[in-house]
Amino acid sequence: MTTTVLLIIHGLLAVALLGAITHQAVSVCWAVRQPAGAFVTRFRAVSAPAYANAVVLLYVLTAILGGVIYPDYRMSIRVVLEQLDMPMANGSFELKEHFAVLGLAVLPAYWCFWRLPLAQAYARARVALTLLIAGIVWWNFLVGHVLNNIRGFGS
Amino acid sequence: MKSNERLPVFAIVFALVCSIVYVLCVWKNFALFTYHPASGEFGLGVQKARDGPAMYWYGWIATSALAGAAAGLLAALLPPSLAQRVSPALAWVTPLIGIAILVYILRNYFLH
Repeated sequence: MTTTVLLIIHGLLAVALLGAITHQAVSVCWAVRQPAGAFVTRFRAVSAPAYANAVVLLYVLTAILGGVIYPDYRMSIRVVLEQLDMPMANGSFELKEHFAVLGLAVLPAYWCFWRLPLAQAYARARVALTLLIAGIVWWNFLVGHVLNNIRGFGS
Repeated sequence: MKSNERLPVFAIVFALVCSIVYVLCVWKNFALFTYHPASGEFGLGVQKARDGPAMYWYGWIATSALAGAAAGLLAALLPPSLAQRVSPALAWVTPLIGIAILVYILRNYFLH
């Protein structure tokens, strides 16, 4: 029961993180050059630096919660996936756990490059790190979601 | 060098070394400790599974985080002339290469 609650909180934090990093990634790659009007334009017109602290906090909290519930996955779900002969599902989760750590490794640099005032010297690295973290978050979210559909906690 | 100039150097080198060491940890299993989830016990270094699976992931994180932090702190102490040569691109190119290597290491899951 505790694990299920933690998994739900982990998922909710992941949704918030996904929204924040996607907003930031879209705004740095597809900046608005005219006043925001339609929904998509407004989505792109956010202030990208304002998201950096939230992304760092949400990423760390989501990763910590993922680490807390990981032993339950290892004990009760991975075994079932092996019995069901689903190597792609297991492999996708293995990548998820590794990508999560690489995301943690770049988080100090990401935070540093997004500090105000924005340094021009870090402009390219800032965009690259934002896209890298966005890619990791999207992969991890989708894999977590699909795995939960295959064999969720408490099922 | 001022502290606000040392921070980017630390962060770049941390990302660089932590990514490299983590991939090495996964590849060669250099875990600082092992967790046995069935019994809830931790053991120093790499230990074999007992009463259930052994988890090395936490140990790999600890190994790579310590290595990254140590290297980052050393880099932050570099004289400004050397510190300026640390390219910000290292912070994202290295983990990107790390991702490619990890996909290669785990390829058998997807080529089944």
